[in-house]
Amino acid sequence: METLQNIAQGLLERGDVSMVIGYTPGTIPGKTKTIFARTPEAAQKLTFNENCVNNLSIYLTRQYGNIGEKPVALVVKACDARTVNVLIQENQLKREQVYLIAVPCNGVKDEHGVEQGKCKSCAQRVPKDYDALAGETPAPVEIDPTLRFKALEQFDAMSPDERWEFWMKEFEKCVKCYACRQACPLCYCERCITDKTTPRWIEPDTSTAANLSWHITRAFHLAGRCIGCGECERACHQNIPLGLLNRKMAKEVFDNFGYRAGESAEAKPVFADFRYDDKEEFIR
Amino acid sequence: MARIGVFVCHCGENIGRTVDCSVVAKESAKLRDVVYSVDYKYMCSDPGQIMVKDAIKKHNLTGVVIASCSPLMHEKTFRRAVQETELSPFLCEMANIREQCSWVHEDKVLATKKAVDLVRLMVEKVKRNTPLEPIRIPVTKRALVIGGGIAGIQAALDIADGNQEVVMVEKSPSIGGHMAQLSETFPTLDCSQCILTPKMVSANSHKNIKLYTYTEVESVTGYIGNFDVTLRKKARYVDDSICSGCGICQEKCPQKKISSEFNTGLGKRPAIYIPFPQAVPNIPVIDKERCTYFKNGKCKACEKFCDRNAIKFDQTDEFINIKVGAIVVATGYEMYNIGKNNKNGIKGYGEYGCGEDPDIIDSLQFERLLSASGPTFGEVKRPSDGKVPETVVFLQCVGSRDKAKGMEYCSKICCMYTAKHTMLYKHKVHHGQAFVFYLDIRAGGKNYDEFVRRAIEEDGAIYLRGRVSKIYREGDKLIVKGADTLSGSQVEIAADLVVLATAITAQPDIVPLAQKLGVGYDKYHFLSEAHPKLKPVETNSAGIFLAGACQAPKDIPESVAQASAAAAKVLGLCSATELEREPYVAKVYESTCAGCGFCIEACPYKAIDNKAIVNRQGKLIKNVAYINQGLCQGCGTCLSVCRSKSIDLAGFTDEQIFSEINSLFV
Amino acid sequence: MSQHKETIKHDFEPNIVAFVCNWCTYTGADLAGTSRLKYEPNVRIIRLPCTGRIDYNLLLKAFESGADGVLVSGCHPNDCHYNLGNFHARRRFTVFRQLLDFVGIDIRRIQFAWVSAAEGAKWAQLVTQVTNEVRELGPFTNYKRISELSFPYKELEPEPLEEVTA
Repeated sequence: METLQNIAQGLLERGDVSMVIGYTPGTIPGKTKTIFARTPEAAQKLTFNENCVNNLSIYLTRQYGNIGEKPVALVVKACDARTVNVLIQENQLKREQVYLIAVPCNGVKDEHGVEQGKCKSCAQRVPKDYDALAGETPAPVEIDPTLRFKALEQFDAMSPDERWEFWMKEFEKCVKCYACRQACPLCYCERCITDKTTPRWIEPDTSTAANLSWHITRAFHLAGRCIGCGECERACHQNIPLGLLNRKMAKEVFDNFGYRAGESAEAKPVFADFRYDDKEEFIR
Repeated sequence: MARIGVFVCHCGENIGRTVDCSVVAKESAKLRDVVYSVDYKYMCSDPGQIMVKDAIKKHNLTGVVIASCSPLMHEKTFRRAVQETELSPFLCEMANIREQCSWVHEDKVLATKKAVDLVRLMVEKVKRNTPLEPIRIPVTKRALVIGGGIAGIQAALDIADGNQEVVMVEKSPSIGGHMAQLSETFPTLDCSQCILTPKMVSANSHKNIKLYTYTEVESVTGYIGNFDVTLRKKARYVDDSICSGCGICQEKCPQKKISSEFNTGLGKRPAIYIPFPQAVPNIPVIDKERCTYFKNGKCKACEKFCDRNAIKFDQTDEFINIKVGAIVVATGYEMYNIGKNNKNGIKGYGEYGCGEDPDIIDSLQFERLLSASGPTFGEVKRPSDGKVPETVVFLQCVGSRDKAKGMEYCSKICCMYTAKHTMLYKHKVHHGQAFVFYLDIRAGGKNYDEFVRRAIEEDGAIYLRGRVSKIYREGDKLIVKGADTLSGSQVEIAADLVVLATAITAQPDIVPLAQKLGVGYDKYHFLSEAHPKLKPVETNSAGIFLAGACQAPKDIPESVAQASAAAAKVLGLCSATELEREPYVAKVYESTCAGCGFCIEACPYKAIDNKAIVNRQGKLIKNVAYINQGLCQGCGTCLSVCRSKSIDLAGFTDEQIFSEINSLFV
Repeated sequence: MSQHKETIKHDFEPNIVAFVCNWCTYTGADLAGTSRLKYEPNVRIIRLPCTGRIDYNLLLKAFESGADGVLVSGCHPNDCHYNLGNFHARRRFTVFRQLLDFVGIDIRRIQFAWVSAAEGAKWAQLVTQVTNEVRELGPFTNYKRISELSFPYKELEPEPLEEVTA
């Protein structure tokens, strides 16, 4: 069995990768921070534990400029690897540009020690596809896959007006800091639609109406793409339950098209594709 | 600063009756950036157009809104007029206050309010229009004619005589279509074969025509002037380059009892067969389903006797790619079948025994009985026992004009051919008596009514106005029970033979073809013309034309006329080396494109590709989408899958649509 | 001609916006006109080349601008002038309307239809049906409410500046 440090050290010593992006203990207890290890020595600082909540795949996007001639190694949990798949699907990355060091994960907690919602319904201990595994292959677990949509059930019982009240109360809090966007590894647009001024599809102010417009856009733009890493919700200091919107979109995409984001790097993105027999009961 | 002119048309009374045009003009004048507005009786008339042109010059207009009929009707007219001034034709927009306002609403106040709104939307749009340059595209000077009936043959010959290349495809083994099956033709009673066969031969031998029989259209891509067509030449199992058409294979084939399609089931053919003696090309085809060798792996009688070794059991379907500039669709019709299992899914006629009695036949079968080359060599003998029928009852409108059968239309040719049938029958069976049950006699056409009168007056056909409620067999006779509504009595005729003038229906497999071509069709699956009166030959897909009964029931002269019209359209198209196309194409803003590739996947025309942006050292900066303007058809699907809105579509830009929406409710 | 019909006065007349494709539904709506079929005058048509061009933000903007109901219509599957545009649109709309539903917009206010160039009668019927349905639902005030209540600073009168005297 190879340890995370050994794998990373080997990669850097051989010069296979330009850097290893992973976790290292932070200064605040219960928190880890990101390390960009460029030397074999730095690789010794790598760590993985239940506090490694961040989705580091965001550092593969173009804005960070980490991808050069040489591949980059990335420490990934199963969910993070799904993001990498989406980035590959969407031409942001080539598979050979990234070396995936998989870490077996039994669920992660945020800085407050709260287990993440995504972990409760996650049965995947290691990614489907990786280049090296740090640690041993864990025993498979059985978890009802529909569990991830459990949180949506509360809305089924609500009337449209009640749902509206619920969400408007949430969106009212939004100050449009766009932390949700910045934290999202899939919000890699060169210029976000909300920053477009000709025309301005989303009003820039923070009225509830303008906030609604933004949140609908954010949710819909991630529909069929979001793998549910939860970084947006974690980044939101107003505690808007953005994950619910993402999960609702994931559910609809799964129910209607049998598609789950990030399952495969080869699949066609769900909204760049269609089937002749897609359901259309709602069309008159 | 935009200076917009608004021109409100009364369209005589058409708009003015329900929309107060002067109010629309007055309200328009209040809109921001509108510097001139006027209403006029007929904007599309010469004085109307002059008015527009003068106002553009006099008021220095930067944009024009014509509030009148649908842009599909007169956008070209007004844009042409605008073009005659300094202004770009693309700075003219139309507000549809006729088809979508005055004609569909009754309340004058509400209709006027709506018209004002529609004008405002278009003013907002036109302010954001930009002068566009039409796209010039090359024209492939070759036409594809789909269907080898009389319409297809005529179109192909006319185009070929106009010195343009034609590729003609026919799905069955021979060209000729339904006309080849007919005996004699109304209203002159000249022999169908005699006038058709020479045309079939010239279609095959013309230097400009390449004929593919037993071939179907597999796929069509591209656009006017530049269609890429893949044809599927079905395996004939006979090498058509070697076969001399001697016919020995047909003689030696042990399977001789297969019902002949050409003879509408009244005759027999072998498993390897030439459909009829005058077939073009005169080359047999093996019916794989029924061939002994294909079924049992033994026989090959045809191969043994073929002295040219033309039989090829290992032949497979061949795919042929061609490029054409125009397409003529002449796929014809199919007769409605009163049987239980109808290809078009229409109900049969239980009251006529669903056509299971051998002596209840349809008109096409009767044509074969009358034909000198038919199964009875022109003698009228009934199918059941070969007896010469002494009483024949003809039923018109079987299926046609019958709402219960879902065919409310008139099949148009049945009145005439039924009259012809009674005449030909009388000429062959002098002592015979023909009865005709009809609803109305529709004999509009040159010498048509005279022809029907002759059938009645000279050849003694008895016409009864009414429907037949039941036909059943009693021994040797078929009892036809019907109503004679003119005398108000019930009629019962003991007939030897009943001939049903069944409806003309669309080809059962036309819908997939129409979809491949992007041509519309109506609820009966007849193909749709671009305009019922003014563009009866064109379709809504530029460069694709219609000829013959694929559009609606038609007789031979009409089919021929339309075929020649389609040919004229094709020749007109081919006379230009370049075409102008509306420049409604999408373009990418490379600076904001993240190269996610959704548009590349979604584009129906594969017009979008990846483009690498490199710096001066040749190092890749990023990948972006690149749209090939020649391939882009302007649907805008790419725009909707682009999250960062890095694509825009000329003519329907985000800004234009946005401002339309924003100005909806003020 | 048909006799003049009494116009029924309603308390509320909804604003309906229809986004239609140029080749099927727009032509079908023209056919309704040429056939002199009558329908409710509440609808304002926005013509686009294809349903494929109709992105979600057009629909959202329509509601923001004050639409009480939105109608989206294009070619039937397989009949798209651009072959595939409506298939892509169908996928998007399937999910988008669920999103609207989720945030509490009554999705009876957003309707989708296929109306071919030959279906003038279907268009006329559809517009009348949708208008009646939305009229039944009443005005769509949700948006207006949230635009108002989230501008607390609007309610504050700017304090008069004290005159600066030397």
